[in-house]
Amino acid sequence: MFFALTDEQRALGETVRAFLSGRFDLTAVRAVFEDTAGDGHPLELWKSVGEQGWLAVCVPEEFDGLGLGLLDAQVVARELGAGAVPGPWLPTVLAGEAVRLAGSDAQRAELLPRLADGDLVATVALRGAGGAWDASGVAVTARPAPGTVTGIAAGSNGFGSEGAGGSDEPSGSGVFGGSGGLVGELSGTASPVEYLGVANLVVVAAIEPGPAGAAPGAGEVGLYLLDPGAAGVAVRPLVGPDGTTRLATLELAGARARRLPGSSAAALADLIRRGALLTAADQAGVAREALTRTVHYDRERIQFGRPVGSFQALKHQLADLHVAVTMAEHAVMYAAHALDAGLDDLELAVAVAKAKASQAARDATAAMIQYHGGIGYTWEHEAHLFYKRARRMYGAFGDPPAHLERVAALTVDSLT
Amino acid sequence: MDLTFSAAEEAFRADLRSWLAGSVPAAWREPGFWAGVPDGEGFELRREWERRKFDAGFAGIDWPTEYGGRGGTPGMKAIYDEELALARAPGTVNPLGLAFLAPTIMAIGTDEQKREIIRPLLRCDVIWCQGFSEPDAGSDLAALRTSGVADGDDIVVNGQKVWTTNAGHGDRIFTMVRTEPGSQRHRGLSMLLLDMHQDGVEVRPLRQMSGATEFGEVFFTDARVPARECLGGLGNGWSTAMLLLSFERGASGISQYTAFRKSYDEIVRAARALGRDTDPVLRQELGRRMVELECLRYHAMHVLTQVERGADLGAESSMTKLQWSETYQDLFETFDDLLGADAAVSTPVAGLDISALQSEGFWTRSVTIWGGSSQVQRNIVAERVLGLPR
Repeated sequence: MFFALTDEQRALGETVRAFLSGRFDLTAVRAVFEDTAGDGHPLELWKSVGEQGWLAVCVPEEFDGLGLGLLDAQVVARELGAGAVPGPWLPTVLAGEAVRLAGSDAQRAELLPRLADGDLVATVALRGAGGAWDASGVAVTARPAPGTVTGIAAGSNGFGSEGAGGSDEPSGSGVFGGSGGLVGELSGTASPVEYLGVANLVVVAAIEPGPAGAAPGAGEVGLYLLDPGAAGVAVRPLVGPDGTTRLATLELAGARARRLPGSSAAALADLIRRGALLTAADQAGVAREALTRTVHYDRERIQFGRPVGSFQALKHQLADLHVAVTMAEHAVMYAAHALDAGLDDLELAVAVAKAKASQAARDATAAMIQYHGGIGYTWEHEAHLFYKRARRMYGAFGDPPAHLERVAALTVDSLT
Repeated sequence: MDLTFSAAEEAFRADLRSWLAGSVPAAWREPGFWAGVPDGEGFELRREWERRKFDAGFAGIDWPTEYGGRGGTPGMKAIYDEELALARAPGTVNPLGLAFLAPTIMAIGTDEQKREIIRPLLRCDVIWCQGFSEPDAGSDLAALRTSGVADGDDIVVNGQKVWTTNAGHGDRIFTMVRTEPGSQRHRGLSMLLLDMHQDGVEVRPLRQMSGATEFGEVFFTDARVPARECLGGLGNGWSTAMLLLSFERGASGISQYTAFRKSYDEIVRAARALGRDTDPVLRQELGRRMVELECLRYHAMHVLTQVERGADLGAESSMTKLQWSETYQDLFETFDDLLGADAAVSTPVAGLDISALQSEGFWTRSVTIWGGSSQVQRNIVAERVLGLPR
């Protein structure tokens, strides 16, 4: 039995933390946060993140990655959360997971090395505004691109299976994915999409037409590699309260993109689970940092002639938060391992982790404001940076009510 | 991460499981079976079963063989706890002795104490009670007043203990006594190992809100105990007690998960029988309970890892206690929520006998009190883990 991080994993976390405190502290975070007209993507930081290998964690060694797993990636995610760090680390890693898990050999060879070193900034566009975090929430449709021979000839729904033959897509069209993949035309919207404004590559989920004669909605789910500079793509920036990211709506009108041959509804669900896990890890980092900062403040802050942290009204709340945050950390570790090892209960584990971490992050950052008193409610104080990040992530890849319903479905409906 | 047990540990699991399959009668596994057996009769049934378990080599799993233990690993102990819960085996009749007294004696007892106390305790030939709490010394243990005065080679004890588990079945009691007259708080205390079968000891049962009488009051009136029957030395009672309480390990968390998960499943079956399992509000509640149960399971694996590495859990065990006790209690609030107006009756509801779940629900009101109340645990976490000022 070894339920813990290895020395190497702990060292990775300490490296990220030390780097951030020296090179990208909360003053730097605030500069990005307040520069609402900016792209939220400090290039020096990105360059360092790439050089340090933090984008390469999940990329196999044969594609210039570190060949580790989500358990290692969650170490990085937690530290980025603890630092409220802006930048497209999470969506880029997630896009890499899509390529790694559903891409062809050619797509992996083309893209993974460039994702691993930060040469490409990537993101994911998996759901429409207001939609659920599953195939029913996808608001983009795909159809075979005219003039792509294999696309039309391959199968009953026009997409067929991988390896059906070469595409006649002209080179230099800006479509990612090398030769041999199928090309689709995407139409619809996805929102909110993180860092769409700076991304070179977008993994887009799209509903494909079902077999001829099938009921509407019976189609497959495709994951597509989109160049946001392609024809038929529009990016509509969104304004949001959390300045540690940038969000936009992706609008597609017949934009051409190449399909990942391993696409399926299950592949989309897997990708969303990985997104939920990495988000939960970030939230666990946010929650721990908010709690630690609050405890430090309440040890020193004197009212009524004594430190306010000596009052049981605060102590008991902070103790409960410590338990909750610790449980969230355990749940994130377990879920990461469950995904890495393909454990039978990985679906339950991810739902538990996301529900628990989302709640813990919101509670801990709310407590951070409350237990700093008036100063915690000011713009100058850092509490709102954490609070707003926690709130944004609360709903990303499924909010707690959605995950709790998933937990119920897995433990109530399945009971024999 | 490696969440597997070693080959030796899994072989142990297979042996134990096979023994349990043949030794736990089917009737005992029915929910509510023990509630229907008179207290004294049930106790003797369990004691006999536990002796057979000892004779089969399934006792003191991670204790040294010289004390009658099996000499196994912490992982085997966790497996043992889990398998007993899975098999719905009866709970031990000697919980305080096994969990607290024996490890303390192994750590600081005299050779004579080790030799004479541990094996009979493990075989349940001697049932041990714990005499800590008093009417005016509950969470504030250092306020205890029971006195011990030297008289020749003996100590003469006067006073009262309360909330004593198994008081009616106890043979001996490890009890905290103020042996230095006039001493204050943590000073001048001793842990005495006193024979309960004497005229100076009177036991009165206490009926709990669940209706059971698992604990009682113990009155000492010139009760005598030889001075050498003191654990950790005269006047060292407080540090002995702290050591003893530190043996409340979280390593049993995996078995708690197993037991609570069975309760969760029973509650889900009740929800189904009442047609409430599709209610979206109740599903949210059930989901929330399962999140906490799963977190308990992960936490238990974390704790077991620490124990295997020989780490001192210290104040972290307060976090474990909070997680399991609050989760267990909340689970039964969800049970009440799904019963709705049917919570008013103890007779079968929709063809389902809910009486066992109902009394389990009453029991959960106690788990956030004994072993250090949730309020005390939160103080410990706040002060010793988070470093907040007193």
